[in-house]
Amino acid sequence: MDLAFTLIRIFIFPGLLFLSILAFLFEWIDRKAYARFQNRIGPLYAGPSGILQPIADFIKLMGKEDITPRYVDALIFNNAPIFAVAIPFLASLYLPLDGSPILSSFEGDIVLLLTLMTLYTIIAFIAGWASTNRFSTVGAARAVLQFLAYEIPMFISVASVAVYVGSTSLTYISMNQPVPMILLQPIGFIVFVISMQAELERIPFDIPEAESEIVAGWLTEYCGPKLAFLRFAEDLKLVFCSGLATALFLAGGSGPILPPLIWFVLKMIFVVLLSSYIRSLFARFRIDQMVSGCWKYLIPLSILQLILTRFVGVGLRWL
Amino acid sequence: MSTFNIEFIVKDLMNAFPNKILDYKLDGARSVFVSIDASILHDVIRYLKDRYDLKHITTISGTDLGDSIELIYNLSPLNRRILVNVKVKVSRDNPHIPSVVSLLPGAVLYEREVHDLLGVVFDGHPSLERLILPDDWPEGVYPLRKDYKVEVK
Amino acid sequence: MSLYQVPIGPQHPAIKEGFQYNFILDGEVIVDVKLRLGFMHRGIEKGMELRTWTQGIFLSERICGICNVPHTTCYCLAVEKLYGIDVPERAKYLRIIINELNRIHSHLLWIGVLGMELGFHTLFMYVWRDRERVMDLVEMISGNRVTPSMNCIGGVVYDITPEMIPIIRRNLDYLEERTKYYKSVLEEDPSIRARTVDVGVLSTDKALDLCAVGPTARASNVKSDVRFDDPYTFYDMIDFNLITYDTCDVWGRAMVRVDETLECINVIRQALDKMRPGPINVKVKRIPPVGEVTARVEAPRGELFYYVKSDGKETPYRVKIRTPTLANLPSLCEMLKGYYIADIPAIVASIDPCYCCTERVIFIDPNKGKKWTWSYDELRNYSRKYYGVGV
Repeated sequence: MDLAFTLIRIFIFPGLLFLSILAFLFEWIDRKAYARFQNRIGPLYAGPSGILQPIADFIKLMGKEDITPRYVDALIFNNAPIFAVAIPFLASLYLPLDGSPILSSFEGDIVLLLTLMTLYTIIAFIAGWASTNRFSTVGAARAVLQFLAYEIPMFISVASVAVYVGSTSLTYISMNQPVPMILLQPIGFIVFVISMQAELERIPFDIPEAESEIVAGWLTEYCGPKLAFLRFAEDLKLVFCSGLATALFLAGGSGPILPPLIWFVLKMIFVVLLSSYIRSLFARFRIDQMVSGCWKYLIPLSILQLILTRFVGVGLRWL
Repeated sequence: MSTFNIEFIVKDLMNAFPNKILDYKLDGARSVFVSIDASILHDVIRYLKDRYDLKHITTISGTDLGDSIELIYNLSPLNRRILVNVKVKVSRDNPHIPSVVSLLPGAVLYEREVHDLLGVVFDGHPSLERLILPDDWPEGVYPLRKDYKVEVK
Repeated sequence: MSLYQVPIGPQHPAIKEGFQYNFILDGEVIVDVKLRLGFMHRGIEKGMELRTWTQGIFLSERICGICNVPHTTCYCLAVEKLYGIDVPERAKYLRIIINELNRIHSHLLWIGVLGMELGFHTLFMYVWRDRERVMDLVEMISGNRVTPSMNCIGGVVYDITPEMIPIIRRNLDYLEERTKYYKSVLEEDPSIRARTVDVGVLSTDKALDLCAVGPTARASNVKSDVRFDDPYTFYDMIDFNLITYDTCDVWGRAMVRVDETLECINVIRQALDKMRPGPINVKVKRIPPVGEVTARVEAPRGELFYYVKSDGKETPYRVKIRTPTLANLPSLCEMLKGYYIADIPAIVASIDPCYCCTERVIFIDPNKGKKWTWSYDELRNYSRKYYGVGV
């Protein structure tokens, strides 16, 4: 009975199936919001108000011909999409969606989650490298270069939160925020959101996939079901990152009246809308501008936040 | 300004290159066609460039006249107010003429185009390759020559 | 890292038409560019030699979708010069109006394309929505959104009725307001400035040496515009400014185009004020006299040049067209050296390339060794066989 319950929690609710539905829902929200910011309509016909459009796209791509070019490294090329999907799934299982995570929580699970994100970037790199296509190579190189720039401020801003709360367990952090961290550590939140935008490879940081320059970057050679999986993986990453932002900065599932799960999802939607808004505001940066901007501005800001937390925030808490 | 008077420029050219300026014809108030001998093309262009600052070349038009190929170099000064069209003729069987790219760097693509479509060889051009026609276009067939027949339905 | 080659084209999301640039790169820095054209060559100059003078107008219109009005205007100006006739006054103003509407349309399209190339999709969506207004105006005047086919030898074909004028003025006011907004966006938005300022620099000397034309040259402080230098129709009666910028970069080219759009609106207003009722075309004989002429017009991309030669027959003896993009290509190759891959779309877009204009594809059957142009039926049959649909 216990085992069945656990399995249901892992695979169905609020596990993999629920996360998949959230992924498609968030993609729809993102596309609709982006369209409205741009004075157009967005998906409209698939389902009421276009809500089934991401699922329709997924099914369509799954039905397309699966081509493996002759000169790619077949082992990596064919299996990268599977890893790309598995990593955010695994990471999302540690999010305290309804108060407690699906898999167990432990001290240091934040470090595990950030490591999983690192792993994703490495998968992106070797997927692009294995494609042996000029555009993919450039995209893969850019993905790693971008990673060097945004990973550090992201880690530091997460560390600031952990230092303040006094724990490195995501569940503990999300449950123990009488005042949401966004108010106590606004600089950290801003740094985290910008780094998240870079992590998710969205404008203004979609440099590894820059459509107008290198076709599709490291995704260029993928088509059909593999591409469907990679795009699904991007949506899952969106779910995970917004979940992470919610758990760290927006006090997780706490809130009056409604159950914690609803609050958690609503706050995740807020983060997704914020990300869509940023996406519609900017042009794409060049890789050198992005890297130098991160090192010149984001990292000092995140370090500032850490210092403030260590000396001011912790001191304030003891007052 | 007198230097932008077309008649003045043509008379000056005729003085500078006696007997080599074959003909001239006005074309509206601001343009003139000047026919010259092919041997002095370089000197005429250099003269016009140095004396009247006619540095801007609009294009090189090539026309197959049946017995020869006529090239027209359209030059204008910095402020583009006038157009001096220098016409030379090259023979069809041996269409060679010195390239003007050393004097007018902007002419590089125009010479390639004329070479591609009419078969004129510009001696001294840095890279006289195909510009417009497909890579597997047969050698020696020049579409803009009059003997190239096109099937029209 | 050793040098490697990246082809952009002939198929690429960044480019709207088929061309090929082979970039030799050192990491992300461009070392050299090799250009290969010919993917859009349609043999138009040869085609014009086979068609009558009037058919030539429609053929010249199809050279380019965006700048079709300057093409027909230039062709008609050249042929009218051959005839030695002058078109009526009202026709000249109408030509100005339709040319300037086309210029506004082209520049707005370009601003949107610049947004696309920079990854700024929001700008693209906004601008192209406003561009619809221009196309609605053109449709109101001529019945077509993009190719008005307004010019004929001897004048214009469609007239602007008094009912249309307040609608035109209203839309011009709206467009002016929006263009001023886009100008402020281009001047102030930090991400656009980061991608366009000091990118793709073409110094004034190089621009003059390589004979650049149009906004590409004007952004490098070269004061040349055919409407001022060699006025056609009634541009010398209208009061407007020659826009130049001296920043010599992609941003300068963007600003030149935006400011020119504002000037166009001004020009159209003045033309509407000055226009008097009268005939809009004159009848001409079917065949022009023997002669050769040149004509120049300021297309949105630069100086458009036509050379037309008649030998008294039904069809022209030679029509030579030189479009502004071809003139800007040597400058483009110069502008690209030393910049990053990420700058390629912005720099290439900044000359506003229109490769349809530049070339004018002829089919060859390598098996039979024959060169011939296919008819529509032959093409259709071939494609059906290829896709196994059945002939």
